[in-house]
Amino acid sequence: MSFRFRLSWRLVIRLLVTAVFLLPLFWMLTAALHPQGRPLPTTLTVSLDFTLDNFGRVLELVPMGRYTLNSLVVVLLAVPLTLLTSSWAGFGMAQLPTASQRRWIVLSLAVLMVPSVALWSTRFFIYAWLGWYNTILALIAPAIMGTSPFFVLMFYRAFRRIPTAIYEAARLEGAGVLASWWQIGVPIARPTAVGVALLTFILYWSDFVSPLLYLRSQSRYTLPIALQLLQQLTPSQWALLMAGAVLATVIPVMLFLLLQPYFARLGN
Amino acid sequence: MRKPRWRPLSYQQRLRLLLLPYLSGILLLVALPALLAFGLAFFRYDGLSPPTWLGTLNFIFVTTDELFLLSVQNSLALVILPVPLRVFGAFLLAVLLRRNGRFLGWFRASVYLPSIVPTAAYALAWLWILNPLFGPVNLLLQAVGLATPGWFADSQWAKPGLVLLSLWQIGEGFLVCLAALQDIPAAVEEAALVDGANRTQRFFYLTLPLMAPILLLLAFRDAVVTLQESFTTIFLTTGGGPYYATFTLPMLIYEQGFGLLLFGAASAALWVLYALTGLIVLALYAIARQWQIGTTEETFVL
Repeated sequence: MSFRFRLSWRLVIRLLVTAVFLLPLFWMLTAALHPQGRPLPTTLTVSLDFTLDNFGRVLELVPMGRYTLNSLVVVLLAVPLTLLTSSWAGFGMAQLPTASQRRWIVLSLAVLMVPSVALWSTRFFIYAWLGWYNTILALIAPAIMGTSPFFVLMFYRAFRRIPTAIYEAARLEGAGVLASWWQIGVPIARPTAVGVALLTFILYWSDFVSPLLYLRSQSRYTLPIALQLLQQLTPSQWALLMAGAVLATVIPVMLFLLLQPYFARLGN
Repeated sequence: MRKPRWRPLSYQQRLRLLLLPYLSGILLLVALPALLAFGLAFFRYDGLSPPTWLGTLNFIFVTTDELFLLSVQNSLALVILPVPLRVFGAFLLAVLLRRNGRFLGWFRASVYLPSIVPTAAYALAWLWILNPLFGPVNLLLQAVGLATPGWFADSQWAKPGLVLLSLWQIGEGFLVCLAALQDIPAAVEEAALVDGANRTQRFFYLTLPLMAPILLLLAFRDAVVTLQESFTTIFLTTGGGPYYATFTLPMLIYEQGFGLLLFGAASAALWVLYALTGLIVLALYAIARQWQIGTTEETFVL
């Protein structure tokens, strides 16, 4: 077997740039593996002295397992709900008369422009009235509206590529709205659905503000708040902080690597 | 025969039914809270006792507050500095990783990877990376003989620190640019090649002008998002300090509302945030009109 390895300039530049992008994650990981008792180096050195003890210590300090489970429940509820509501809305929009389509686009863009900060305190009051305060409902509520108009517009764009004649044909054959959404729309919009699912997952997984504002019971906290607790407990124990950060990052990164072929195909 | 009380819904009506969750969500979670926030600005409200009418007192209180003016300045600085860098960086990366080559999928994935990291974990990671004494960045600077800034511990360097860390999370812009680059017709490119345009010329006279509308839209979205989303990062890294160097409007609104229970004053500050967002939107819209781009529905939806 012979390997031919042709190094082009383009490949070298691509490698260097990519390496720069991986640096923060690399530093986070190496710091998380640094043995606790050993002093931190004050010069640029590479140490091969690694340990996994920090992860155990973090789990003792903060119930990360519990919080990981809470985060998973939030994501497992919010992502499917978002896919359903945003693809429904996108599907409905795509088949409305042009004038109505334009109105919905304008509405969606207007909602996109509303700063989320503007809704913090008054959403708090609404959740309190509805009895959603301090429940998981306060964390997943945005999924009702497809989480973000951005996702609705993504689905709208995907569904609009389907020629209207196909919808008409299905309608003449007696297919209802839901049937044509499921049988015509969904198969065509699958790449869009993968993208929306990943983006939604990341949004809910890293949501720091909603649990900070709308949860009171410690047992319901999610991972981002766990990191804040860890930071308050051990503000300068870098190895422990980074171990916590790694624990919060592992699941999204694994999911992303699973979906990586989707990126490789993008636009080739 | 009696007419049935409910006529079956027409196809069009059923379509509108599909939009119902979206619409009701918008009404409940965006329209209603936004209107309430506008109204609250005229009241004293602590979330417990009934609101009392204050007229425009909240606005006077907020706009004469030195901290408020500082937070507006900080917010603007933390939008104006990073947004062009982020958008142009995403664009250059998309150009670099545009076409086939060895490991292309992995290169693209690596560029996107930092954007996957949860904001809280990312903020903590950079708190370590930019640690003045032990952080890898300062060790690196020290090794090549450069000055080592205090970053988040230094009021001069806290803002540049925040800008720096924001440059790694540009996955969304990168993907949008990548998709938009694929939409440039191959025929245009080939024509330029036949005319003998070299790589640099093709970039400046072909790719850049064709991508300008997308870049503008990205800048527009990035500005609005950066203005609000930097809260988590700032909250966990600098807490608004040192000496309020990174104290932004969202931080002020959070402290006034959830810290001091002055929800009325927080709402008055919100009006200013709305105005700022509106100004950014208008400015970019004016540029877009000037260039006659981005006005069609197609480009608006991306």
